[in-house]
Amino acid sequence: MELTRRDVVKGALAASAGAAAFGVPHIFVRRLTQANAQDKTIKVGILHSLSGTIAIIERSLHNAELLAIDEINAKGGVLGKKIEAIIEDPKSEVRFFKEKAEKLILKDKVAAVLGCYTSASRQSVLPVFEKYNSVLLYPTLYEAQECSYNCFYTGAVPNQQLSDFVPWLIKNVGPKFYLIGSNYIYPKETNREVKAYLAKYGGQTVAEEYAPLGSTEFSTTINKIKSAKPNVVFSDLVGDSIVAFYKQYRQFGITAKDIPIGTPITTEEEIKAMGPENAIGHYTSFNYFQSLKNPVNERFVKAFKGKYGQDKVTNAVMEAAYFQTYFLAQAIEKLKGNTDPDGLIQEGLPGQQFQAPQGKVKIDPVNHHTWLWARIGRANTDGQFDVVDESKDWIRPDPWTRVLYPDKDCDFSKVPKGSKSGTITVKRS
Amino acid sequence: MAEALFAQFLTGFSIVAILLIISLGLAVIFGVMRVINMAHGDFIMVGAYVAFVMQEYFKLNLFWGIPAAFFVLAAIGMTVEWGLIRQLYGRPLETLLATWGVSVVLQQGIRLIFGPELRYVRAPQLLDGDFAVPGSNLPFPYFRMFIIVLALGLLSLTYWILYRTDLGMRVRAVNQNRPMAEVLGIDTRRVDRFVFAFGSGLAGVAGTILAPIKTVSPGMGFPYAVDSYMVIVLGGVGRLVGTVAGASVIGEAETVLAFLYNNVIAKLLVFTLIVIVIRVFPQGLFTLQRR
Amino acid sequence: MSIGLPRRYLALAVAVIGVLFFFPFYAGDFRMNQLGLFLCFVMFALSLDLIWGFTGILSLGNAVYFGGGAYFVALSLKLKYAATNPARYGSGIPDFMEWNGLTAVPTWMLPLESIWFAAPAGVLAMGFLAFVFGFITFKRHIYGVYCAVITLAESLIFEELIIEKQAYTGGFNGITDYGSYSSNTNFYWVILAVTVLFFWLARRITTSHFGMILQSIRENELRSEFFGFEVANYKIFVFTVAAMMSAVAGGLYAALNGIISHQEIGPLLSVEGVIWVAVGGRGTLIGAFVGTILIKGAESLLSEQFAWMWGLLVGLIFILVIVLMPDGIVGTLLRRARRRRAIAAGRAPAYEPRAVSAEDTPTA
Repeated sequence: MELTRRDVVKGALAASAGAAAFGVPHIFVRRLTQANAQDKTIKVGILHSLSGTIAIIERSLHNAELLAIDEINAKGGVLGKKIEAIIEDPKSEVRFFKEKAEKLILKDKVAAVLGCYTSASRQSVLPVFEKYNSVLLYPTLYEAQECSYNCFYTGAVPNQQLSDFVPWLIKNVGPKFYLIGSNYIYPKETNREVKAYLAKYGGQTVAEEYAPLGSTEFSTTINKIKSAKPNVVFSDLVGDSIVAFYKQYRQFGITAKDIPIGTPITTEEEIKAMGPENAIGHYTSFNYFQSLKNPVNERFVKAFKGKYGQDKVTNAVMEAAYFQTYFLAQAIEKLKGNTDPDGLIQEGLPGQQFQAPQGKVKIDPVNHHTWLWARIGRANTDGQFDVVDESKDWIRPDPWTRVLYPDKDCDFSKVPKGSKSGTITVKRS
Repeated sequence: MAEALFAQFLTGFSIVAILLIISLGLAVIFGVMRVINMAHGDFIMVGAYVAFVMQEYFKLNLFWGIPAAFFVLAAIGMTVEWGLIRQLYGRPLETLLATWGVSVVLQQGIRLIFGPELRYVRAPQLLDGDFAVPGSNLPFPYFRMFIIVLALGLLSLTYWILYRTDLGMRVRAVNQNRPMAEVLGIDTRRVDRFVFAFGSGLAGVAGTILAPIKTVSPGMGFPYAVDSYMVIVLGGVGRLVGTVAGASVIGEAETVLAFLYNNVIAKLLVFTLIVIVIRVFPQGLFTLQRR
Repeated sequence: MSIGLPRRYLALAVAVIGVLFFFPFYAGDFRMNQLGLFLCFVMFALSLDLIWGFTGILSLGNAVYFGGGAYFVALSLKLKYAATNPARYGSGIPDFMEWNGLTAVPTWMLPLESIWFAAPAGVLAMGFLAFVFGFITFKRHIYGVYCAVITLAESLIFEELIIEKQAYTGGFNGITDYGSYSSNTNFYWVILAVTVLFFWLARRITTSHFGMILQSIRENELRSEFFGFEVANYKIFVFTVAAMMSAVAGGLYAALNGIISHQEIGPLLSVEGVIWVAVGGRGTLIGAFVGTILIKGAESLLSEQFAWMWGLLVGLIFILVIVLMPDGIVGTLLRRARRRRAIAAGRAPAYEPRAVSAEDTPTA
């Protein structure tokens, strides 16, 4: 006979075993995890791409957070308990971000997650954090227009990067701007804000164009720039495109003396990849540069290079990843070791301060964003930035950019308890 | 405006040259073996990394990188052909899939060895800077000129091999009528091995000269692979003139459209154009008469 | 009622379905959500098996139909969500529309607010798209490698279009934050039921007279033409059916996942689907299930431990399967079982010649 009943039973058992194996470990792990949560460590999730196109920058965020955790644990941890990092790699794909976020929250039961770089990844995981009421700390500059109950934003919002940068460029370089960017929401929103600032400060938009994400052929764009003769090229290109654009820009004979590039995105990391000679003289606006001269930063850079290699560079986004880890640790300490999400969100995190490599930083008590310093840097021959301007004091974050949304603000003290969004309407005179 | 348009046209030339260099290797392979190498883009990527290694570890500039990449990739190509393609002889769809596996392995391998960061490759000192195009005062980079010259050089080399050597004659015979060539005593397996190695070598060269103007990362290959498929599908196989035609049409169309509209629209329109042309000429613009 | 399955396999099928049915009770929410998504992928792979495993059409762009169906459902849910939660984005319209300067939902999009319209509309739209594409391609006798490359180009076009039309599709970020049915056991069972239904449907198609013709097309298209069959029509039909199946799977995926983006439309997912079918066993239907669950499950478990080498492993396994086990896991098992039977019945010699496949004809 062909397949006997024995085979069928064997098959069924095998199938059940397979499917069970897929699900059973969960039961045991769940018990184990619950047991652990009570005693030895504080679990924190790290959700950054370690492979794929975004890994180029996101890996440094992961590294910075682990550095902070090591330092905290070396000093005894939080109230005697060590922080345990549960690391997940979403491989630069948005669907994995969501899946791994769910895993960290539901399966590993972490106290909070330090994660994400692109807006796409943040937007994909936020509903998960809101649905299961957990906490995400997001270190990356972004286009704002958001304030989620379950998220704390430690990266720059546009008013902390652009409100000084654009008028400075108009005054020191010229009023005619050529806007370029990668074709998705962050560059488009940013350029919208830039145009609003230009209108306010007497600048002028000569042209605006977008390149497909990841594109590396810019000769046409550069020709158009040459014909249009702007004073400044304002670039919101991200990722691979940055390196290709700067390289081709110089190859086609445009130097920073003729038409400098101004950007809120290009960091020391991208300059390393394109070679310093392609970046000399161009401007970037950030809260932090590796070249900042203060003892906290010098210690930070030394520790980072010591742990990961002398050829590594530090940049603004991973500096935020670094100090947000300290924010989290301090918050848990403030709550006497309690990692209840609502406690962290309502009491532990708001108002936290820290002496970061960029200077003193603070989480605003009512809008979940962070007070940061604004600086303008010009790239030099070493691939580092010379600071040409900086704000006198730290700048309050405006999650709803005033120049575009004068009637909106983010204030959790003014929304009903349990709201997932802190956006309110205000009347400004 | 006319000056800008002229500059655009010249730029278009360099883009056509790039497309040609990228696609030549694949065109030769596909023409003779009817195999689409899904790892072609990753061969290009490995070529770029060869240039990187030559620069960082051997302190030799791009002029050394080019032949080095050719031989490294020819060796890899021969290995893939011997280990993989040969086993799947006569099954083009399986071969396509198997080469996809090779693509994944190459990408992951390079990522494991070199890390995911973007890598920096310099153009040789000699080719830095630009010159004023005669007739206007628009600067055109020396390096792009070099690319155009190299493209023409590689094209001539391929032509010379195919039409002026014994080996080339054998290749053309297999191209035109494989079973007949076999019957006449030509060792088709040897020809295949040579063709695949040569095509892979060309891909390596493409990688080295793209490295200074584009970005070098483990995942850089896919867009180039897609571009080369389009060139071949449009231009047709079996004849060099087809590849040149395909590269020219796509290169200039993309450049002109990008100038008039923007990059995104240009890409979309060119793709759509290709799909329409295929509808009318299913085998591409220039094909070989088959018996 | 004829299920079209011999009794022994039926028992096995029931056992597997039983295991899947009781999964939520012992595996927890996270794994159940994962398995729900995997089942959507299984349906996608099943549709690929129909067109590739049975008919020989290699399409590297079928995720367009999966993603298309997904976008219809996601848009619909998003419109509803935005309308019922006006405070969320400041007005009653989705966030990505606001960011792109729209002040109201475009009129042509309004009917999508009802999921009862949007979901079937998505399936029919994808069916129509597949029909048109199939018509262009198959009537012109474009097949084999050319077809594969053209489908690749098509999927790239759609991916780029979706990203470009940000005001209507959410662009690169995709459509997010519209509520979802995750951690909903009932919805998981709905997905399971649809999966079983599709398998039954596929089984009906492939064991029928129609299915036999499909397989003859796969074996030798020219010969089938000479037998008088309008090959193009058969291909167009099965291609359309497969696309609609994918669209349903995509819609369920969107509802379960809570987020959809260009990645569900692009060539990456399309090629992955082909890999699942190849590894599981093309032309076997159940191979689609085995291949998808095996690879996605392993990816999920192993990437948690061995993130750095997972990709490499997949590539190597894939190459090995293609070269050594071209019929995939299930295909090879079935072939061995059949041979054992044939030898036992004295119908075949103990030595087996190399398997000959359709493309073995010398002139390409």
